[in-house]
Amino acid sequence: MPTSPVKTRIPLTSFGHLITEVKKQLFGIETPASVELTGLRKYFNSYTLQGRRNCVLVTYGVFAVTAAAYFLHRQNKTENQRSNAAA
Amino acid sequence: MMLSFFDQFLSPSFLGVPLIALALSLPWVLFPKPSAQWLNNRLLTLQGWFINRFTQQLLLPLNLGGHKWAALFASLMLFLLTLNMLGLMPYTFTPTTQLSLNMGLAVPLWLATVIIGMRNQPTVALGHLLPEGTPTLLIPVLIFIETISLFIRPLALGVRLTANLTAGHLLIQLIATAAFVLAPIMPTVAILTAVLLFLLTLLEIAVAMIQAYVFVLLLSLYLQENV
Repeated sequence: MPTSPVKTRIPLTSFGHLITEVKKQLFGIETPASVELTGLRKYFNSYTLQGRRNCVLVTYGVFAVTAAAYFLHRQNKTENQRSNAAA
Repeated sequence: MMLSFFDQFLSPSFLGVPLIALALSLPWVLFPKPSAQWLNNRLLTLQGWFINRFTQQLLLPLNLGGHKWAALFASLMLFLLTLNMLGLMPYTFTPTTQLSLNMGLAVPLWLATVIIGMRNQPTVALGHLLPEGTPTLLIPVLIFIETISLFIRPLALGVRLTANLTAGHLLIQLIATAAFVLAPIMPTVAILTAVLLFLLTLLEIAVAMIQAYVFVLLLSLYLQENV
């Protein structure tokens, strides 16, 4: 009986992890060596654990800053409208 | 009074006292506790063997930190299995058809796995939100998608159990009603419907066991990521 070329321990909890694991076992992800990662790529990449963590933190940070800016802007706009109406 | 098909899912109460507490304590009344004897009777031996085997299989891929959850997983599995199986008896109430109960189990346990991951190994826990080898342009998109999938997990856990059991019970009631109504009118069709009902009941017994197992298995997988 033909066996699957994909070995066991495929993560089932996330579609992204499943695709990554299948790609790794069938095609092999070419992880660049650590010397090849220079500059910003050394800290922000999708190959090393720290790189992935930093990407996640930056994405969340950008989202939080955008949300904060939006809500502050809306608050200022409401206050301006109120002061114009009072005047 | 016209009975609706959804009356079986109403949480029962008697003289204003909710009986769901009784329904939830029934599984623990039915299981014998291990005795102090060296050799137990067949029932206790079988129970012990089943619990040990199940826990061993479930904890196989988990690290040592995850083994603390052995008692929780084993008791949760027995609890859900018994509730689901008892609910297949006629005129019984199945507590696991209530979304509130299933979400009450799913959300705290899922949240516990996330908090454990963030507290003990925050780098690994955050790293899980971005699959390895993602192209640079897709990084924010995939982080967004993985975050959504993380938060959908407790919802899926609870709704999966609720929907499976509710749908099964509803189907059983529909087909049983059809067989009962058709019996005086078209006996042959009624017999075929009764055969279908029998097969469906076998399916529902399997679904009851599988859904309890899937709930616990998924929780152990979520724990595996964070421990």
